[in-house]
Amino acid sequence: MAAVHTRRRVVNVVALTLSGCATLLGLVFLAWILWVTLKNGLGAIDWKLFSKITAYADQGGLSNAIVGSLVMDAIALLICAPVGVLAGAFLAEYAHRSKLGATIRFLNDILLSAPSIVLGLFVYVIVVLPMSNLTHGAVSFSGLAGSIALALIGLPVIVRTTDEMLQLVPGTLREAALSLGIPQWKMTVQVLMRAATSGIVTGVLLALARLAGETAPLLFTAFGNNFMAWHPLDKMESLPVAIYQYTNDPNPALHAIAWAGALLITLFVLTLSLLTRLLFSRKKVPHE
Amino acid sequence: MSSIPATTEPVDVDRRSRTDARHDALFRLLLKACALLVLAALLGAALSTLWGGREVLFGHGLHFLASDAWNPVTDDYGALAPIFGTLVTSLIALVLAVPTSFGIALFLTEIAPAWLRGPVATAIELLASIPSIIYGMWGLFVFVPFMSRIEPALNDTLGRIPLVGKLFQGPPIGLGLLTAGIVLAVMILPFICSVMREVFRTVPTRLKESSYALGSTTWEVVWDIVLPYTRSAVIGGIFLGLGRALGETMAVTFVLGNSYNITSSLLMPGTSISSSIANEFNEAVGTHRSALIALGFLLFVVTFVVLLIARLMLRRLARREGN
Amino acid sequence: MNDIAANDPAGMAGVLPAQTKIAVRGLDFFYGGARALKEISMAIPEKQVTAIIGPSGCGKSTLLRVFNRIYAIYPGLRASGEVLLDGENVLDPSYSMNRLRSKVGMVFQKPVPFPMTIFENVAYGIRHHEKLSKADMEVRVEQALRRAALWDEVKDKLKRSALGLSGGQQQRLCIARGIALKPEVLLLDEPTSALDPIATGRIEQLVEELKRDYTIVIVTHNMQQAARVSDRTAFMYMGELIEFDATEKIFTKPSKKQTEDYITGRFG
Repeated sequence: MAAVHTRRRVVNVVALTLSGCATLLGLVFLAWILWVTLKNGLGAIDWKLFSKITAYADQGGLSNAIVGSLVMDAIALLICAPVGVLAGAFLAEYAHRSKLGATIRFLNDILLSAPSIVLGLFVYVIVVLPMSNLTHGAVSFSGLAGSIALALIGLPVIVRTTDEMLQLVPGTLREAALSLGIPQWKMTVQVLMRAATSGIVTGVLLALARLAGETAPLLFTAFGNNFMAWHPLDKMESLPVAIYQYTNDPNPALHAIAWAGALLITLFVLTLSLLTRLLFSRKKVPHE
Repeated sequence: MSSIPATTEPVDVDRRSRTDARHDALFRLLLKACALLVLAALLGAALSTLWGGREVLFGHGLHFLASDAWNPVTDDYGALAPIFGTLVTSLIALVLAVPTSFGIALFLTEIAPAWLRGPVATAIELLASIPSIIYGMWGLFVFVPFMSRIEPALNDTLGRIPLVGKLFQGPPIGLGLLTAGIVLAVMILPFICSVMREVFRTVPTRLKESSYALGSTTWEVVWDIVLPYTRSAVIGGIFLGLGRALGETMAVTFVLGNSYNITSSLLMPGTSISSSIANEFNEAVGTHRSALIALGFLLFVVTFVVLLIARLMLRRLARREGN
Repeated sequence: MNDIAANDPAGMAGVLPAQTKIAVRGLDFFYGGARALKEISMAIPEKQVTAIIGPSGCGKSTLLRVFNRIYAIYPGLRASGEVLLDGENVLDPSYSMNRLRSKVGMVFQKPVPFPMTIFENVAYGIRHHEKLSKADMEVRVEQALRRAALWDEVKDKLKRSALGLSGGQQQRLCIARGIALKPEVLLLDEPTSALDPIATGRIEQLVEELKRDYTIVIVTHNMQQAARVSDRTAFMYMGELIEFDATEKIFTKPSKKQTEDYITGRFG
């Protein structure tokens, strides 16, 4: 009896210790990755990074990549934020209990974790190839195609958060608006979305954090460009793609620049994630 | 309020109602169109890769699926090596990430003092928001050299064990399936962990308390009560992680070594579907490109099925929560 | 129980000499398959306060929700029979929503201000129904806030968010929002159940004042409240209208055993 008892205690202590070790291991990896990025990145950040383009290679910087990333992320958000918010509103307000709603909600969750490289291929086939055929090769890879691919990454994030946030808005608010004779579309846009604003903004920021770090879908949509490009129909460089190329290069001077770019992206994305967490914890959908 | 003027004519009111109804219908249509875009994106991804890879998928058919050749010079393509690499690295990632995630989830729900839970949980979730390209860089510049120092030891210890030993014999270069699997494990860990943590919290306290009252240890409560109660959702979370691992590109492409190998050793370099596409697509033309798109189609179908299973398992839990 | 209703289908016994504003005839209501209201017939007099009481689940809120067809926003709910507002059946699909909702205002159990400024909360509904100049709108909003006995408390902070008001103030704001549309009927669905006694007193006083201009129907689970504010009281039980009479009579000598049991606290 006592032996059984002791054995159970020992098993318990061992299991709990292992669980603590697992947590420590996870934290060690986080610290390791962040530390390496910070150390190598800080050492390589200088003014050239923001003023020179990638065409100068190890004598240059990442200015065209930074601009390209900003442009493409912005266009991507312009595409996926309205579409995602409206689609989320459809799920929450019009298809809450319908079969179609359940199906779309379900597939949206799948899109959320679908391989981003395949979405890149998708955009290559439906945007890059037709554009190239249409313009006889004048326009093929483009910032716009990259933005569309990124928008597909951000879309399900926004759909899901909007759906969830609108469902948190109490039904009484709907009844109150409708009892004044306000039509449903007006109520949805002017009352419900306003009540869920902070939640919806959280979703958009989450989407931005998600798509800003993506590399794979840009490789065969925006391609890359060693020169400064502003026009969405030009090939466009981006931070993740520049990092990818420089990492693949044997030249250590380029590795340093890649680390600097990595630090920029990581800081951007982590700041966004922490910011959304902050917004979300203070999330005030009125009335409970 | 003494004089209440008649506000509007009934005819006017009725006309406005009709206008409102029309606007409502239009608005609904617009919303529905946006929601259907989600379906279109998934369907489009499947169809466009099927179309783009048709030359190889339909032209070479079974040969494409069953051959381990990958030769752009002779235009002979077989998907076996990339499929092998994708499956093996994902499997390694699961074997490592599942127990670790379980440990972390256990720590965060049952062991850690309340003040520690929030910060640690946030930190673990931050692992999920680090862009995969950063994992790739860290993997190549930091983790590969680290592994190349460990691998000789692996050769001498695990490599000596009969049968299993074969897995750990090979050149200690750091690059390879094992390294890629470990990097993937770190990447998918926060996804599995957050599902586990969430579902562990749905276990009714009275269930746990009644078990504690019988003198069970924390471990026994978790193993005998919590885990069986949340089994399907936990499996869902694991499949979710698997789906992520299968489709991941940037984290593995630097550390895999990129050689079309099917080997018995985990220390050997290999390739994966996504890293083949990422590495070769922009230099590929004709059949080669078609073969890469066909690979994309395979990847999409496999991850779709895995994620489908994941969501179905998770949905069952959501329904129970609703009751 | 059906016999009882059949004997006095409209609950007209002892009706005061007032015009009927809402006439309910043979109203049935279904949640999916479940029948929540059974052949309700009653005549609600104009410019009086009618209270509906009964144990929870008796259908009193459901009945109120039929009067402005708000139930129709949920799938699977169905009403049959007639609800005549000034002689016209509001359940008829051809009775337009804007007409109905501008004639019948509603205030809910929990105060639900919109996430807008205090001013906008009141102006929002008006704006949908009427085009008013800025000055006219200000007059209308002030009127409504005064009628809801809220003006003095909020006149200096009209541009602030309504979410910052106290519960009682929010509820009066909701009343102001309702009467700003100049409705003829006001439906109050347990309007004080989420409020403290002082705020409740103010609302009851307000109801007393408003009945000069509006026909008011109030659902309440608080029998003292019904006795205090209403002219006529309806008692409902299990989806049926058991008794509908002058409030005084209901509370002193009800004619039905069930009513007596309920108001003396023997069940419910």
